[in-house]
Amino acid sequence: MIHALWQALLSGTFWQPLGFLLLAAGVLLPALAVVFSRNIVRAALWLLPCLISVAGLFVLLGAELLAGIQVLVYCGGIVVLILFGVMLTYGVGDPDIRVYNQQLWWGLLGVAAFAVLVNLALTAQLWPPPPGPLPPDVTARLADALLKQYVLAFELASVILLVAMVGALVVARAPSAGEEPRQ
Amino acid sequence: MNWVTTVPLQAYVTLSALLFAIGLTGVLIRRNAIAVLLGIELMLNAANINFVAFWRYRATSSMEGQVFVVIVMTLAAAEAAVALAIILNVYRRFKTVNVDQINLMKG
Repeated sequence: MIHALWQALLSGTFWQPLGFLLLAAGVLLPALAVVFSRNIVRAALWLLPCLISVAGLFVLLGAELLAGIQVLVYCGGIVVLILFGVMLTYGVGDPDIRVYNQQLWWGLLGVAAFAVLVNLALTAQLWPPPPGPLPPDVTARLADALLKQYVLAFELASVILLVAMVGALVVARAPSAGEEPRQ
Repeated sequence: MNWVTTVPLQAYVTLSALLFAIGLTGVLIRRNAIAVLLGIELMLNAANINFVAFWRYRATSSMEGQVFVVIVMTLAAAEAAVALAIILNVYRRFKTVNVDQINLMKG
């Protein structure tokens, strides 16, 4: 009896929809907080639970390596980078500052129209049935694909990253003493 | 992990569309340039969910979906670094990061 229950738990028929719903709420509610939070520091911090829930969705879909990269790169790198950017600019804690621009209602209207259109398109399609179990060596095959078939894209991405980092350093560099500040 | 998927693909795609719409809202209505950047990150994540979901439901025999996600994450990191550098420079020049006050090129 307990063994059968354990099997049902492990097989995914029981907790997988539940986990999906929890993770979907964990993606969408923090995302709303990111967009509508008045304080930019809180908005940046709300990005964390959203990104971690996306990593959970990756695990649910069987892409564990991507979940790890998501936590390392997004939560560990990009959010910290954005927090540094917030700290180096001003006006973040001011409660009276105007958060939204003049196109608030037009923007919301356009986005609502977009969401309706996308959901119409979604309901109009024929969808494939849920697939069978994954092959066991997904991560090894991802490594194979990255370093054999798609090695050019992989290396180009690393070159782009290097160029972007050097470029960001040059752009963000404070003008030194004898130098005219860039206009 | 070796389980049978019971959540339909529509659920993932709908979630991704909603997340994209929320991110687009942030890009369209926020004044702070860093908040606009946060909206862009949300939209990139929506795209990544779609890539992985379609990989899982349609093409587990090849790895293109996951390769795309790796590249997208790399470019997202590069984009965030460059965008923040530009925002810092804009702040030095204009003393503000509100996108509706930076109108030097407005005709």
